[in-house]
Amino acid sequence: MTTRTRYFVIASLLVIGVGLGTGLVAYYVGFPAGAFAGRGGPAELDYVPRDATVLAYADVRDVMTSELRQKLRSAVPIPENGQHELEAQTGINIETDIDRIVACLYPQRESTIPGAGMVLMRGRFDAGRIEGLMRDHGGQVEEYKTKRLIVASETHVLPGGAFAVAFVEPGLVALGSDRVVRMAVDLHQAGNNPNAGVESITGNEELMSLVRSLETGNAWAVGNFDALRSRARLPENVQSQIPAITWFAVSTHINGGIRGVLRADTRDEEAANNLRDVVRGFLALGKLQTGGRPEIQALMQSLELGGTGKTVALSFDVPLQVFDLISGMHLKDLPKH
Amino acid sequence: MQQKPPSVLSSAMRVFDLSLGQMLWSRRSVFLGILLGGPVFLAAAVRLIVEMSARGFRINGATASGSAVFGLIMWLLYIRFIIPILGVFFGTSLIADEVDDKTITYLFTRPVPRRAVLLGKYFAYVACTVLLVLPSVILVFFLIVPMGGSTIASAFPSLVTDLGMLALGLIAYGAVFALVGTRLKRPLIVGLVFAFGWEPAVMLFPGYLKRLTVAYYLQALVNHEMPQDSAASVLLTLFHEVPSVAMSLLGMAVIVAVSLWFAGRAVENREYVLEQ
Repeated sequence: MTTRTRYFVIASLLVIGVGLGTGLVAYYVGFPAGAFAGRGGPAELDYVPRDATVLAYADVRDVMTSELRQKLRSAVPIPENGQHELEAQTGINIETDIDRIVACLYPQRESTIPGAGMVLMRGRFDAGRIEGLMRDHGGQVEEYKTKRLIVASETHVLPGGAFAVAFVEPGLVALGSDRVVRMAVDLHQAGNNPNAGVESITGNEELMSLVRSLETGNAWAVGNFDALRSRARLPENVQSQIPAITWFAVSTHINGGIRGVLRADTRDEEAANNLRDVVRGFLALGKLQTGGRPEIQALMQSLELGGTGKTVALSFDVPLQVFDLISGMHLKDLPKH
Repeated sequence: MQQKPPSVLSSAMRVFDLSLGQMLWSRRSVFLGILLGGPVFLAAAVRLIVEMSARGFRINGATASGSAVFGLIMWLLYIRFIIPILGVFFGTSLIADEVDDKTITYLFTRPVPRRAVLLGKYFAYVACTVLLVLPSVILVFFLIVPMGGSTIASAFPSLVTDLGMLALGLIAYGAVFALVGTRLKRPLIVGLVFAFGWEPAVMLFPGYLKRLTVAYYLQALVNHEMPQDSAASVLLTLFHEVPSVAMSLLGMAVIVAVSLWFAGRAVENREYVLEQ
């Protein structure tokens, strides 16, 4: 073997060795995610208690000002009763006051806070007005670890306890079940401190790695499918038909249309392959069925099945033209004057 | 005292030592360099665009994660193109080049078994291509995967599987085309027709014929979702029959063993008449 051949072999083996070594360290230690990519997710996750079954995020400002929403709003007038009710109860206007929200649910029976939930809102809030409105509706104001906590009257009781609002920090409001809101305040005061029994969801690496994979969207949700299924109390024959999914995630980017990805993590590779086969069959059927409808065909063409190992992913892109078609159909159905 | 003739393996290692350098620094290496530099260049360009744009990498309008893009590159560039074409170009030329250069007589006059010449050259082909393809895949992996929320940690197991699968692909295609190169006239054309005509065509239809391809066993070892980029891909997806990993490994081992054995026999028995 000549010297330059030897050098080539050494260089090549070095690239392979360094690559595999780096990957191996990343796999076991996870340093690339931790050291280079940051913790991931919005800062509000620091105040979400650890055992959330469903976690969702929306960049409200981005969604509200999106081309899609403006178009839908002008084409299909949607009743905004819920929005008005929230404003009447809390003085918060979703359109103008909120920048982003993080929501979490705790429906598991074995969880420390069964049936509870919380929404963390980042934006501009008039604390005095909100407090006044809550008082008018029978709310009680108390001091909890130096934070103002307003607990609603007994007529506003959520499954996880009384409805409460807390001003966690300037521009950040937590509202939801009393116990979860108090835990958010605890996390704000003590930080993620498992030894003190105060744990944030950022310590749940399984969930956080999913969150990191969803960050390209302006609205996303991630949840423990197993926990939701056990909570659903479905009949045995229905339960057995549901794919063995452990985690699910949805990430969307809403602007001139909706594009995003649906992701499911299954219990094993066999379950993932089965799920892929089912989705693949539906996709092939859908592509064949929508040949004569260009708008729907564009949507079907955008569906891309992916994922490796135990992960099944389906990316999609609903262009604005599809919504034009829907709004056109809606207008056609309206009675002519 | 009569000296004991060297064994096939030790002779093959001598030929390997000689052939590896020849193979690496031949004109064919330029082609190999372009072929394998392409995906790395493409990956670097994609990464650069993604880093400069806030919208991420999009396929058909939807944001694609780094591991999905890596899977796409693996399928479209490495599995469907680079691996078969390396097998064709290098495998068919193992003996044919020596015949064309009229140097085969020098090798055959040495006191080594003829099949050792083929084996040594085949080992050199495997070493040469594996040492070039695997670093290229690793570079593409590190450039592409950390995009769109994917992490190196979560995609690493699939990289290890991919490297093993590609090495097996090179070994199997190399053996098949070594056989083509020793048995048939115009091996390059036959090889290209087999790799880019016969294999993709047979894979499109249901039935047993696909078992007579390397791609059938190789694609079963791929853990990335097959891209659906054309009508042929949709058909391929519909009739995609996946043998088990054990079946695939066994199938490829049989292909390699049978091909090399027949290729060795052909080299042993054939009379090479060199044109003057």
